[in-house]
Amino acid sequence: MTAGSNIDERLLDEAIAWHRALEGDDADWDGFTLWLEADPRHREAFDEIALIDRIVEEHAPTLRQLTVIEPIEPEPASPARRRWLVGSLAAALAFAVGIPAVWHSPADKVFATSAGETRQIALGNGASVDLAPASRLIARGGDTNRLELAAGDAYFDVAHDPARTLSIKAGDYAVSDIGTRFELNLAADAVTVAVAEGQVSVSPDGGDATQVAAGQQLVALRGAQGSRLATVDARDVGAWRQGRLVYNNTPLTVVAADISRYTGKTVSVDPAIRSRQFSGVLVIGDGSRLLANLADLMAVSYDEKGNRVRIRAADRR
Amino acid sequence: MEEDSTQGLEALYRAHRADLLRFLAARTGDASEAEDILQELWIKLRQLPAGPVANGRAYLYRMAQNLVVDRLRERQRRMRRERVWSDDRTGHPAEGMEPADGSQNAEDLLLEREEAALLASAVTTLPDGARRAFELHKLEGLSHAEVAARLGISKSGVEKHMAVAMKYLRRALRD
Repeated sequence: MTAGSNIDERLLDEAIAWHRALEGDDADWDGFTLWLEADPRHREAFDEIALIDRIVEEHAPTLRQLTVIEPIEPEPASPARRRWLVGSLAAALAFAVGIPAVWHSPADKVFATSAGETRQIALGNGASVDLAPASRLIARGGDTNRLELAAGDAYFDVAHDPARTLSIKAGDYAVSDIGTRFELNLAADAVTVAVAEGQVSVSPDGGDATQVAAGQQLVALRGAQGSRLATVDARDVGAWRQGRLVYNNTPLTVVAADISRYTGKTVSVDPAIRSRQFSGVLVIGDGSRLLANLADLMAVSYDEKGNRVRIRAADRR
Repeated sequence: MEEDSTQGLEALYRAHRADLLRFLAARTGDASEAEDILQELWIKLRQLPAGPVANGRAYLYRMAQNLVVDRLRERQRRMRRERVWSDDRTGHPAEGMEPADGSQNAEDLLLEREEAALLASAVTTLPDGARRAFELHKLEGLSHAEVAARLGISKSGVEKHMAVAMKYLRRALRD
């Protein structure tokens, strides 16, 4: 970051106001130029704000996965949520700085991928995992039988062993009794479990388990919105490994979260169409066509501003 | 039709070239960097896929502004790398890390993750209102008006929260 020790609060506030004002199509760029010319410190203050904004934008996909965004009701955050968040953060920080976190002993082991990167992991307990781009899997206390999908999507191939007590946490849900091949997807709004072979047991925190068998998919929406069991073609489970994203009445917000991971952009869905679902196949390629293809297939439009994309109802043509 | 809209941008560029240069000079504080960026803008413009652009002049300014920020970010990354090199006494990442392959990419990835973790921890310690406004606007992509509606506060309230958040994060990343 630039030195900027002589930038006071007032200058930063002015810079923030300009930064905000310039987002509009009717922005006063001439006025902004005059403001910059009036004092070289204006440029320094603006540099700092623009840089922070860019850094936030670049890390937004990661931040989104670390900070679970609360559902609509405007109550203060519950203590449970904060604890959960601090736990994840501790793991992320331990990972980032390479120091085993003191409040976890022994240290968590973290497997992570960046956007565009996939990874195969042999867990050494008869289980292997294909980790999709921009995803993170944590072995709690280094124990590969206590896994948590903290972000993104993973395909598990687990040999059946009645003696083993493997469980995988994702958001507010846990998958257990595993002897199978299945895909687990964590988005801000939903947890999805799709089974290709065998069956698994999926239970919400403190709730009753649901059995999900081969050819079935469970979509559990966050909060009290409940979960839904549907059929799925077993060949479509984990299809991202063959370069395709296959959806079957999938909430649009989950599709948006997937596209975020493949493009590195912050993809959000306009509240007006947030309850819509998508069925169809998107070819991943280098990720650059995903939004255009989605727009073609389900008659939606999207606005792109820098690294942010908003999917919304289609323009009338 | 599509051809026209790109040609439209190029014509706009020619019409506003002097304004853009003045803007870039003020924005960078460096006349020769301003020329460089303007040149880069022109090249980008010609590579642009054809498509309708709503407000061409604002679009050009935004492109120019983005190129300035690209450079700022690159400069900040370079400074960060140099700082790490001078701080690094062992030359190896601490134990418990994923094996780094020693390449520049692995090191950069590490720095990126450190930055993300720093940012994430700063976000959780934001004052509550600022944190919620920040998460909804920057992470969930809601507009200021939507954030205001969701939190039951005024738009200027959202703006105040966002200003608090930006200043707080700036401080957190400087330390």
